[in-house]
Amino acid sequence: MRCIGFSTGALARNDFGKALQMLAGKNVSAVELSALRQGELVPLVEQLDHLDLSPFKYVSFHAPSAMERSFESVAVELLLQVAARKWPIVVHPNAMYNPSEWRRLGNCLCIENMDKRKPIGQTAKHLAEIFETVPDASFCFDIGHARQVDPTMSEASAILHRFRDRIRQLHVSEVNTQSKHDPLSFESILAFHKVSHLVPADVPVILESRVEESEINGEILSALNALSADNLLALTGD
Amino acid sequence: MPGTESTAATSAEHPNSGLLQICREAALSTRAELDQLLSSQIPGYTSEDTSLVVFGSLARGEWTRGSDLDWTYLIDGGANSDHLLIAQRIQRLLEENEAKFRPPSPTGTFGNMAFSHDIIHQIGGQNDTNKNTTQRILLLLESCAIGKRTDAYDRVILGVINRYLDEDNHPLTPDSKRYRVPRFLLNDIVRFWRTMAVDFASKQRDRAGKGWGLRNAKLRMSRKLIFASGLLVCFSANLDPDLQTKISTDKQDGIKLTLVQHIRDYVRLTPLEILAKSMDRYGVPQLIAKDLFGAYTEFLKVLSDEKSRAALENLRSGDSREDPTFREIRRISGIFERALDHIFFENKQIAPLTRKYGVF
Repeated sequence: MRCIGFSTGALARNDFGKALQMLAGKNVSAVELSALRQGELVPLVEQLDHLDLSPFKYVSFHAPSAMERSFESVAVELLLQVAARKWPIVVHPNAMYNPSEWRRLGNCLCIENMDKRKPIGQTAKHLAEIFETVPDASFCFDIGHARQVDPTMSEASAILHRFRDRIRQLHVSEVNTQSKHDPLSFESILAFHKVSHLVPADVPVILESRVEESEINGEILSALNALSADNLLALTGD
Repeated sequence: MPGTESTAATSAEHPNSGLLQICREAALSTRAELDQLLSSQIPGYTSEDTSLVVFGSLARGEWTRGSDLDWTYLIDGGANSDHLLIAQRIQRLLEENEAKFRPPSPTGTFGNMAFSHDIIHQIGGQNDTNKNTTQRILLLLESCAIGKRTDAYDRVILGVINRYLDEDNHPLTPDSKRYRVPRFLLNDIVRFWRTMAVDFASKQRDRAGKGWGLRNAKLRMSRKLIFASGLLVCFSANLDPDLQTKISTDKQDGIKLTLVQHIRDYVRLTPLEILAKSMDRYGVPQLIAKDLFGAYTEFLKVLSDEKSRAALENLRSGDSREDPTFREIRRISGIFERALDHIFFENKQIAPLTRKYGVF
């Protein structure tokens, strides 16, 4: 079975402790520690030594999705502590003002493709430009973002063809028109089937769907179904 | 039959008593079963852009054993070829469970996909087909979304109401003390009723008289109920005292939005609830309410009885005068119509509006 789990931010917004409790006893082997807002970064980094992450085979870290320019160097210093653990650090390209600062994270820097709201980072072409500035960075493929940008999944296919070898992890959810992460609908599952054959089978999956604790296992099953190449209906972009 | 007696003391209590209550509860549990079936076989069958909408007796809260499941997959979002796949999968699943969820009528108004753009934009004009008109009016007056996600359904209902009110330049009376009856909406509801009546004759011809008895009974009762409830929704704009107190002269937008919300709140009710609420509000005598709801209860009793329903389904026009089940329907529908006549032609508040807007 794929290594799969949840983002703490999806389960309990800024309460990572509560999110980890919600995951206890569930069929998950991966977790993403989320500090999506600038103010969440320091408390989360300070707590890293005290978190019980033993149930997880794979741990990643989500850096703030946006930050003030003056905070950038502080953020990178803090994130170097995370990089020391060899955890991938997911970063939104629009949050990087000075790429040379972020290059210090080496291949722990994990660039994510963006939703419609963001000024950059949605297409294969945009991403290629970004990776030129941070060549060692790996890639977090957000399949929900890709579907929001292009529901036919043609752009998703183009991104996967071009950056498949860089992919370090997946983000999976349904991204609605307001760019909020919803549970997977059948419609999004059908869309994900179209590119499932292009998604490397050994890449860990982080769910960003906002679900209740009782819905965690069901959402995992839906995600596994969505990513199963056995359910392929029609190829996109091959 | 147990459960057919009503002990209601006010009109509003009628839909919640006796057989009407039983049918209402059956509708609620059937909707829940439908959601359960779909959720287990097609997880996430609705989305931000799509809703599964049911019409007919299931939406009106009048579910009986022989009821059809009229449904549509409503789409309010970007074009996506997967929508057809999902609609087909729903259709297949329902066919596999047809003992519980009987398929819809063969004309294709339901059991398919519906698109918000047509429903909202094509009101009147060459492209407003029978199917489009029917879906639009039934969305307003007898529909219900299944499942947790109803975003698309809620948006389309608001879109339709807005569209009707957009065409009325003056929502208030000249003295700005009352809302006017929304005439564009009212005319479409009247048109829908007349269309159903004309289509009744057309279907009789198309289907060589098959199903005449049941269609006739529905026209006399459940279809007429939808029409009556639609008229009352429109009249309530002018008559509802609470609504008039919300009139603000600040901004035209606010005036319209208040009316949109008023109509939205009304159409959340089932047609029977709209009748009941109106009868209480406008002081219709309890005797009339008792007749109206009593007749409707008897109608549902006939439909609940397998033999009677089958007799109506197999009845052709030529045999109707001698057929005991249809004679019973004629008797029941006579009482129902006399009660409606009283409401619409004798009630001091409603009758002037019927006179003003009902025919000319």
